[in-house]
Amino acid sequence: MEEKEKNQLSRRNFLAIATGAIGAVIGVVMAVPAVAYVIGPALQRRTDENWVRLGSTSKVELGNPTLFKTIVENQTGWIVTEEEVSVYVVTEDGREYIALSNICTHLGCRVRWISDQGQYFCPCHNAAFDELGLVVTGPPPRPLDRYETKVEDDQLYILLGG
Amino acid sequence: MSVGFGNWLDERIGWRKVWDAIFLRKIPKVNWLYTLGSATLFVALLQGITGILLTIYYVPTPDHAYDSVVFITTQVPGGWFIRGVHSWGASAMVLLSVLHMVRVIMYGAYKYPREVTWFTGVGLLLATMGFGFTGYLLPWDQKAYWATIVGTRIAGVAPFIGEPILRIMRGGEDLSAVTLARFFGTHVWVLPTILLLFLGFHMYLVIRLGISAVPGKEE
Repeated sequence: MEEKEKNQLSRRNFLAIATGAIGAVIGVVMAVPAVAYVIGPALQRRTDENWVRLGSTSKVELGNPTLFKTIVENQTGWIVTEEEVSVYVVTEDGREYIALSNICTHLGCRVRWISDQGQYFCPCHNAAFDELGLVVTGPPPRPLDRYETKVEDDQLYILLGG
Repeated sequence: MSVGFGNWLDERIGWRKVWDAIFLRKIPKVNWLYTLGSATLFVALLQGITGILLTIYYVPTPDHAYDSVVFITTQVPGGWFIRGVHSWGASAMVLLSVLHMVRVIMYGAYKYPREVTWFTGVGLLLATMGFGFTGYLLPWDQKAYWATIVGTRIAGVAPFIGEPILRIMRGGEDLSAVTLARFFGTHVWVLPTILLLFLGFHMYLVIRLGISAVPGKEE
């Protein structure tokens, strides 16, 4: 009698433990992907630092800033947006290239190269920058932003998102 | 849970009585077919969890629905798994609840005093069908679009009321952004509410009345 009762108890316990164990396994199998799923995009580092091709170096005239325009795609989630990036490229010797953003560092207006005066001119507050982007007159707090450049097979590249 | 804490909590909220009523209730000698209802309940729980997770990324508009589903499947870690469980779980829900129903029919378990349990079960089956129908449109791919065109047209051929029903389902003449949004709202708000109400009632009756035994040969 006592033996039988013991057996019944162990069967009951076995089933309880087995149920708990299977439940725990299912719980872990669901919970691990669920947590990864929720926090995944938060853990992704921005890896949009990329070299963008502007065009042939032969287009750049010595001592005369040349405007390049290129379309850059930005992806956030499933939405891709296109952004036009305009860059002035300057070279003194045809070997070293300086790429300058055409966005004024004051309030973000677009600057324009005036070759007569040898200056970039910002129409918003009459700011002027010299050929290398240094502030000549006006309110801008710092020189024009520069992009890192490289030349491969006579093609000019700039580093975006760095 | 330690016995001490269990007692402390039981004195205050009386959980042991509830636990015993749910999990330690007396049942007749039954077979494995009696697990089909619990299996359906388990899959329903999985559907709830994975469905809530899917809404974290899914956007129910024509310009984002498909792309957000592709994003979930290919870009989000574990997204393919969550979506896969939800998609396969939907089929499992229908299959298991129908098998559960067949068992109840074959064993005559719907008879007195369990008629209301049966009625609520029918409500649950209809809600499950509704989930399947509305959920199928949400990925907004060709299969989803044309399946819903066909599905709503089937509703449309009913005499007299067919045309208005079709228009109400689609939210207008054509299948559009309006259709997608109302299918989504129905899928994540209306049907879960209905399901929870019917499920609560169904479970209450199962516990209150107990389950029927396997009928004898001479019965």
